[in-house]
Amino acid sequence: MKLILSDCPLSIQLPDQGDVKWIDLSRLNIANCVGCFGCWTKTPGRCVIRDDAVKVYPLIARSDTLLYISRIKYGGYDTVMKTMLERAIPVQQAFIRILAGETHHVQRSVVPKDATILAYGDTGEEERAIFRKLVARNAHNMNFKTYRIFFCREEEVNDFTGKELKAWNVC
Amino acid sequence: MERVLILNGSPRAPRSNSKRYGEIFAACYGENAEICPVTRGNHQELRDKLDGVSHLLFVFPLYADAIPVPLLDFLKFLEDHPPQKRPAVSVLINCGFLEPQQNEIALEMMRLFCRQNRYPFASSLSIGSGEAILNSPFRFLAARKIKRFARSIARGTPQTLSVTMPLTKKWFVAASTSYWVKYGARWGTTQAQMQTMEIQ
Repeated sequence: MKLILSDCPLSIQLPDQGDVKWIDLSRLNIANCVGCFGCWTKTPGRCVIRDDAVKVYPLIARSDTLLYISRIKYGGYDTVMKTMLERAIPVQQAFIRILAGETHHVQRSVVPKDATILAYGDTGEEERAIFRKLVARNAHNMNFKTYRIFFCREEEVNDFTGKELKAWNVC
Repeated sequence: MERVLILNGSPRAPRSNSKRYGEIFAACYGENAEICPVTRGNHQELRDKLDGVSHLLFVFPLYADAIPVPLLDFLKFLEDHPPQKRPAVSVLINCGFLEPQQNEIALEMMRLFCRQNRYPFASSLSIGSGEAILNSPFRFLAARKIKRFARSIARGTPQTLSVTMPLTKKWFVAASTSYWVKYGARWGTTQAQMQTMEIQ
């Protein structure tokens, strides 16, 4: 399946088909991760906070193609997207493996992904450089098979999204 | 000696490893250190405290390869409500992985915040194996490095420091597996249950 996660409303029309899902995180009720490790040790694979995040992280795990659309802040994802990414740790196990010469968490049933990240906002090259490093590191922990990063201004988000969906043969 | 405000940016602040790291730092630093958690409701109170200190120490864990959301929100608040005089900033960050360098991106984000908002950046201490090191025979390594970190802040001589367990990656995987199996046992959860591939 293909999944679009955005931290803002978008002016896009998606065909009514089951293979593509768009979630506007800004419309959901998602609390901060409290770092309880419940999803690793008490109810493995299941977050103990039963809010809207529990509808999202299984979709992240199942998707083979991802588009994340997020404002960028201090070289990272801004609050809305970052809150969801932190709440997605039930897709990992507590246990550690060696991957690409580093220690990382073992993944549960997480499909390898082709990820596209659209990072928007008034960013300079310094902030973009940090974000590129962040996504490269995320790739190990979020099972990205490939990833591409695009930067744009806020007013360009809909245009960029439309182009990406055309590349997916969705619109 | 400079007065230091230690802000615990862990989402589980009251029972976090960051709290323990902050307490070790405070014990090394002396009476001029005060520890406060960052919560959703105390941003203004913490900002007001900044007017009375010359040094601000952020202590937090790595979350999804970056700064945890509660701390990110506080940084954004500070950006909108800057103190009259900006203290120097130091960072103590810990991650559960063996490699302290996995903290580097979060450190770069903190340095960027400081540059963008004109806070002088001072020292950093990056801790690997930070979930378990304080409960291991290697606790003394972390404590010793925190002492050195505190000294660098007290003397105003910035340093970039790191520490982790002196284990091979394979030994670390074995030790961390044992650690998490015991952790799960507290809840009556077996290793096989913790290894479920199902996501709910």
